[in-house]
Amino acid sequence: MIVNDIEIMFGGQAGDGSLTTGDLIAGVFKRMGLEVYTYKDFPSRIRGGHTNYVIRAGERTNYGMADFVDGLVAFDLEAVEVHIEELRPGGFVIFDNTSDQLTDAVKRDDVTWYEVPLAKMAKEDLGLELVRNTISLGVLGALVGMDSEIMKADVAGVYKRKGEKVVDINVRAVEAGENYVKEHFGEWPRAYGLKAKPDGDRLIMMGNDAIGYGALVAGCRFMAGYPITPATDVLEWMAKYAPRFGGVAVQAEDELAAINMVIGAAFTGVRSMTATSGPGQALMTEAIGLAGVLEIPIVVVECARAGPSTGMPTKTEQSNLNHLIFSGHGEIPRIVLAPGTVEDSFYLTVAAFNLAEKYQCPVFVLSEQALCQSKATLPKLDLSRVEIDRGKLVLDPVVFGEYKRFAFTDDGVSPRVIPGVEGGMHLAAGSEHNDAGVITENAKNRTRMMDKRFRKLDTAKPDLPTPLLHGDPQAEIGIIGYGSNRGPIVESQDRMARNGIATRFLELRTLWPFPEDEVRDFIADAKHVFVVENNYTGQLERLIRYVVGPLERMHRVLKYNGRPFHPIEISDEIEKHADVRPLVKV
Amino acid sequence: MAVQLTPKDFATATPSWWCPGCGDFGVLSALKQAMADLGKIPKDVAFVSGIGCSGKISGYLHSYAFHGVHGRALPVATAVKLANKDLTVIAAGGDGDGYAIGAGHFLHAVRRNPDITYIVMDNQTYGLTKGQSSPTSQAGYVTGTSPQGNPDAPINGLSIALAAGGTFLARGFSAHPKILVDLIKQAVAHKGFSIVEVMSPCVTFNKINTYAWFKENTYYVTDDPNYDATNRTGAFEVLNSDEKMPLGVIYRDSRATFEALTHLPEIPVAHANLDAHAPELATIMESYR
Ligand SMILES: Cc1ncc(C[n+]2csc(CCOP(=O)(O)OP(=O)(O)O)c2C)c(N)n1
Ligand code: SF4
Ligand SMILES: [Mg+2]
Repeated sequence: MIVNDIEIMFGGQAGDGSLTTGDLIAGVFKRMGLEVYTYKDFPSRIRGGHTNYVIRAGERTNYGMADFVDGLVAFDLEAVEVHIEELRPGGFVIFDNTSDQLTDAVKRDDVTWYEVPLAKMAKEDLGLELVRNTISLGVLGALVGMDSEIMKADVAGVYKRKGEKVVDINVRAVEAGENYVKEHFGEWPRAYGLKAKPDGDRLIMMGNDAIGYGALVAGCRFMAGYPITPATDVLEWMAKYAPRFGGVAVQAEDELAAINMVIGAAFTGVRSMTATSGPGQALMTEAIGLAGVLEIPIVVVECARAGPSTGMPTKTEQSNLNHLIFSGHGEIPRIVLAPGTVEDSFYLTVAAFNLAEKYQCPVFVLSEQALCQSKATLPKLDLSRVEIDRGKLVLDPVVFGEYKRFAFTDDGVSPRVIPGVEGGMHLAAGSEHNDAGVITENAKNRTRMMDKRFRKLDTAKPDLPTPLLHGDPQAEIGIIGYGSNRGPIVESQDRMARNGIATRFLELRTLWPFPEDEVRDFIADAKHVFVVENNYTGQLERLIRYVVGPLERMHRVLKYNGRPFHPIEISDEIEKHADVRPLVKV
Repeated sequence: MAVQLTPKDFATATPSWWCPGCGDFGVLSALKQAMADLGKIPKDVAFVSGIGCSGKISGYLHSYAFHGVHGRALPVATAVKLANKDLTVIAAGGDGDGYAIGAGHFLHAVRRNPDITYIVMDNQTYGLTKGQSSPTSQAGYVTGTSPQGNPDAPINGLSIALAAGGTFLARGFSAHPKILVDLIKQAVAHKGFSIVEVMSPCVTFNKINTYAWFKENTYYVTDDPNYDATNRTGAFEVLNSDEKMPLGVIYRDSRATFEALTHLPEIPVAHANLDAHAPELATIMESYR
């Protein structure tokens, strides 16, 4: 029996309000003291097209999606048709039979069917068709044992802005749903055993919000971006909050402008960032090289989606790793960080701004649709852990002629003035230059300059976010991955542990400079190493081979259909290897 | 009292790369003179340039100079101004830089009206890449990439800017230094996006639009004492006339700057107090309960 762990999927047409409903449910679960993860699977259009929103709640933190869905709330037949196979045997479907009727083809007999005329009730009993979704909340809550008082309070909270009447009708809609269950489905056994406990000192946040918040806390006061799914949230977040802190967010005319603006603001001494996704990242490539050679600190958030070209704009993928690490003509030092949770999205964004200024280079924060647009519960963020380190920023007057913006230093980092500083006037040129900034193609200078710029990465090494080890440190089976796969991998480890297979998982949080030593140590005595990632060509696995060397015992576990891994997909793939299985299954 | 600086104070020690006789020399000396006349000091001047022979100019002006990538001087300059509104921000680049690869940014800078000055050094060719046709080259201009004559009609940057809501449009000639100094001074003093298009002959590659050609084919709008630079229709007329090319301040207008419309705070953004432990930051977290 499943105790305190449930996955609900809402399925309907885009624009029909299932996102709001899903957010509401997520909030209710959170206030019931459960840990929550949500995943949005919506089409790249505004109205129409099948969409679904998955809400997972239970007692473990940092979820991804579960293996199966426990309960499907289907607003139309299409939702059933598309998702019926994803249901756990013993699961249930709440189906709105107002206009669509269930067909024999979809009617699995190992799930329980609750047909409720949601739209009809909304229209006839409550006089407002829009509250259909809210009725479904009441039905769902009564069936799985959600806290009715919390639900009504949350519903009231969400609709408060729209006035008392709207609040009232939505609260009545919840009750109507609950009553329908009582009248028609008798006493539901409440197999999910959802138990409320104190909410505690926790938050519920979307990955992109954590990035925006992390940037603001870290002192980012300039953002420029161009709308692109799934990164737009970050620009919207900063547009709302930056001005309150003396900052500014600009919607640029394209990504070329956005990245050049970010560079201009950073040159002038403002902590600056942009956020984009694949296509925009491609357009920014030339200017990122400029930031590298000008040693200007910038933070570039990449919220990856499925490419190439337009690809699948609202779907997740880890296919931009190569791009972030290798893109651009010429060679520049750069840092690529990849958070694996919403919480880490905050802390790594903070880290990105410090790293950028300390090492005066572009720093990427790599997220993915399945993380950046997902909500999750997390402990309250610890602002006391945040320190702003501006590195070798110089604000006091310097002596003109003595001061050299690109001075050759042992650590590779040169003192950095900003416009307005007396005596610091210089040329910042994308052309190769000497220590004073004067353009030169002198051969000796070129070598020294390249060495100096890249020396910064050696200096930065001890400062970079370290990998995390999950599972049994002694295990013979190793797993390597990053980003949104952290949740599914950790859960697959639990599943394998139950099958008697011990594993250890190295979650990389810095992808460049590549954590060569840690990875080499990790794979050294592993019987097998599985590299789990969402792309076709095994970009991380290739990267490991490129940096650490080839390894016969290394295998790829790939998924590239635009959807995140289910834990079972990972464990199945790993258990396929005969010598991975324990001799006696326990 | 601060000492009055001279053009020399805005010179760098870097020797210029320009061909002898290049129009860009005139632009540089006018700019230095204008800075001195306006009482600017190098530490408070940010000078952003594009890529091209013209783009080299940032290396020759003693200031906080920025020589970025081809066509993107305006986004950089706009952001420098947003980041520190106390700076005097000037962008400069060629006709290719501004009207071809950077044309999008040009239009959007005009729309936004940031309080910066943009100097377009127009030689009607691509100097640095050795004389191909540019967006302002005359139709029929024969070059290596247009051996049968440039098939594209030239574009009129000032006319485009006027249509897009430009607030200060001037055109100068690099061989008329005194007037050019005055135009640049007016442009920098203008509150909003000011454009000074300078006809700056490329003596090496453009054998059509030479110094002599400009002397023959230009006139100053101020030659007509009744010319009204605040009259939009009149400005359109002179800019689009088939007769000679108008020089001088062709149009001026006034509207809110980008800095005002983005509600920049009193203190320059670059000087904002960065305190990760400000109570207002903790308050935001509470909305994620
Ligand atoms: C992205 C990119 N494409 C092409 C070039 C090559 N390039 C350098 S300068 C230039 C044209 C310059 O023409 P213009 O802006 O009119 O400047 P001028 O040299 O005439 O002053 C080109 C095409 C480049 N530097 N970058
Ligand atoms: S090629 Fe033309 S534009 Fe370039 S420096 Fe020489 S004269 Fe000037
Ligand atoms: Mg040119």
